[in-house]
Amino acid sequence: MAKALSSMFFKSLQSTRTSASSVSGPFVQYGMRFSTGVPSDPDTHDDFKPTNKLENSDITLKDIVEQDVKENHVMIYMKGDPEQPRCGFSSLAVRVLSEYRVPIHSRNILEDPELKNAVKAYSMWPTFPQIFINGEFIGGSDIILNMHQASFCIFALLILG
Amino acid sequence: MGSRGANVLLSRASRIKTKLQSVLEAKLLEVEDVSYQHAGHAAVKDNANETHFNVKVVSGKFDGQNLVKRHRMVYDALADELESGLHAISIVAKTPKEAGLD
Repeated sequence: MAKALSSMFFKSLQSTRTSASSVSGPFVQYGMRFSTGVPSDPDTHDDFKPTNKLENSDITLKDIVEQDVKENHVMIYMKGDPEQPRCGFSSLAVRVLSEYRVPIHSRNILEDPELKNAVKAYSMWPTFPQIFINGEFIGGSDIILNMHQASFCIFALLILG
Repeated sequence: MGSRGANVLLSRASRIKTKLQSVLEAKLLEVEDVSYQHAGHAAVKDNANETHFNVKVVSGKFDGQNLVKRHRMVYDALADELESGLHAISIVAKTPKEAGLD
């Protein structure tokens, strides 16, 4: 069960380096909502069939956020996705991070209000985008831009880690 | 009518200024409503009114605080606004020394 949920988790996580798949929107299963990454992939069909997973489901949205930020060196929660940002601040953050040519992992919080709230609670920060580097909350687009412009060397060391 | 009438009559910009002034004892405070720049925004929907602001604060309370902490101080002061339609603020938070006001 954990493996099935983990594979769903990884499919929905977007990476700017390899992503050609589009997010088809959230699906709801037993009150937990996940974005689907590759709906036509035959290998994942079984994951989407209703099964009685709830009694064993210990993965919370908080767990997902923790996993996101710990397993991905650069993680951004944003409005839209890197190919198509839905907000000027999110777009700016992606552009700044892209300057460093490192893989950027993202989630679109517009798709999932519960995820949005979970991220806000995790970082204790009320707005988006939110950028995490090496598991640590760095800030929003203002801070990212400021670090890129004013503390370029330090920021580069942090991102290129 | 509404008991919160007096507060609502003030613009959001005025409320932001008042709150930041009192909480941060600002030496310099500039608040600009730039909601019109975000009128087509995904989350703004029907009302592009008083949703996005530029805020510049100069305060001695920022001494020794990194950017994240400074921005959190501003967000904390504006918690009510953020829950009632304020979507985003661009924050410039400097100490008096950084702003050249010392």
